[in-house]
Amino acid sequence: MSTSYGMIAEFDGPGSLFHAAEKIRDAGYVSFDTYTPFPIHGMDRAMGQKASHLPWLSLIGGLLGFTIGLALQTWISLDGYALIFSGKPLFSAPAFVPVTFELTILFTAFFTVFGMFGINKLPAWYHSIFNASRFGSVSSHGFFVSIESADAKYDSKETRAFLKSIGGSHIEEVEE
Amino acid sequence: MDKTHRLTGFLADKLPKWSLIIGIIALALGFLLGHSNDQSMYLSYLTAYTFFISIVLGCMFLVIVQHLARGGWGVVVRRVPEQMMATIPTFALLFIPILFGMHSLYEWTHASAVAHDHLLQMKAPYLNVPFFVIRNIIYFAVWIGIARYYNRKSLAQDYVASDDEAEQITAGMQKRSAISILLYALTVSFATFDWMMSLKPHWFSTVFGVYYFAGAVMTALCFISLTYMILGRHKHLDTVVTKEHYHDLGKLIYGFVIFWTYIAFSQFFLTWYANIPEFVQWYLPRSVGPWRTMASVLVWGHFLIPLFVFMSRHAKRNLKVHSGIAILLLVMQYLDIQFLIKPNFFTDIHFTLVDVAFLIGIGGIVLNRFLVRLKQESLMPVNDPYLQESLDLEVY
Repeated sequence: MSTSYGMIAEFDGPGSLFHAAEKIRDAGYVSFDTYTPFPIHGMDRAMGQKASHLPWLSLIGGLLGFTIGLALQTWISLDGYALIFSGKPLFSAPAFVPVTFELTILFTAFFTVFGMFGINKLPAWYHSIFNASRFGSVSSHGFFVSIESADAKYDSKETRAFLKSIGGSHIEEVEE
Repeated sequence: MDKTHRLTGFLADKLPKWSLIIGIIALALGFLLGHSNDQSMYLSYLTAYTFFISIVLGCMFLVIVQHLARGGWGVVVRRVPEQMMATIPTFALLFIPILFGMHSLYEWTHASAVAHDHLLQMKAPYLNVPFFVIRNIIYFAVWIGIARYYNRKSLAQDYVASDDEAEQITAGMQKRSAISILLYALTVSFATFDWMMSLKPHWFSTVFGVYYFAGAVMTALCFISLTYMILGRHKHLDTVVTKEHYHDLGKLIYGFVIFWTYIAFSQFFLTWYANIPEFVQWYLPRSVGPWRTMASVLVWGHFLIPLFVFMSRHAKRNLKVHSGIAILLLVMQYLDIQFLIKPNFFTDIHFTLVDVAFLIGIGGIVLNRFLVRLKQESLMPVNDPYLQESLDLEVY
């Protein structure tokens, strides 16, 4: 048998999956995930996930966009292509606001969207979880939880028993 | 569970009584102290008046827009704006001194000034005394109509026996919200033109009404947040209005801070770029001396400080930071109104004892009207179909 990605178990509905996630969290597992046909409110807390770092990336993107926008226009206006128009000073802060604002927004959006891709390791052309035989139903009516073999607490036999004890069915070891 | 919460204690008994007494005394003192200089006195009155009515008009917008969007989250924080907007008849009464002061405030009411001024002659079909009075009657008629309708329906809903009836009332309020918001937008915009923009009748800006509206909604949100915090301290709704609601109110405050800046800059930017005397005249007195300092204060206090302090989710959920920002923005709104009105007449900052008297005077009377209404009914709409959604609110 090839290397194992982890153990997957199926649950009957959002409620039982929610409580299973809490029990897995309390048992000390860290590398585990839940799969549902629709988002379940509060699941992040039930899984014990920490706050996302994404807002910090957005902030960095915004500040970077602001700086680049302002620096770009300052350099062009003062040095790159100094040209007086409308009798305004070469450095006219109000005139720089729209472009600075737009670049702030643009960079914030880029950092947020691509940062989210990065944190989620997207795009992923292959994911081991699809090797699970019953996983297809996740897009219509299946509620799954997987504990990954990368987890320090992972042990093929114990994890299987644990998933069974918290009410999981169709427990299956998933190939890498 | 009995969900009806009544206002009791200090806020219901002593505060309304004392605020009315102090308010009337302060108002009388203001007229007494100021009558030697009519223009200065009426400008102070207009400043205090437009500051307080901005809170009321902002509350009205928030009530209508919640029905328009079929919003559920804000049901538990809707009664305060509902009762606040219902004080609008008081403002119709308080408008009477402005009618008496028209001649001191508005240049276009002087026949002699208009006779020598081609531009004012061209604007006379709009800027004349009878039409000004008629327009203001229309504004107040529309506002009183909207405020009474939404206030009464919501209060009546508290007493219905069945869910069907409650749903019918909410459906009715939602149905009328579209026409209400249209009327609201037109009346607020034109009222701003009449009250504040026509102080400088040679100048105009089409976005001026939106500028005042943006500040008004922001101020109303700060007022609502602070009121629920004070109510919470007196053990009213302290378990019902949670951090989740303050978080959402905070997001709206943050949004309107940015919206105000966007509008303020849009108005300034076009004027600055075009540099045409007709438009620049409004900004000239505001770009020198103490008013320039005031402009910087507004940029920092009305935009940059809230922008960075209030950006984080944790700041919006921390009631100390939240209330600090709300108080700062209330002060900024008052300075903003000063900045809109006073530089048209004074080259120096003009904040006198008369300003203080009118602030306390109008503020005291409005506080009394608001609290008297608030204590008569439940502190939250108990039969709203969206109530459970609002109670369960969680912000991610």
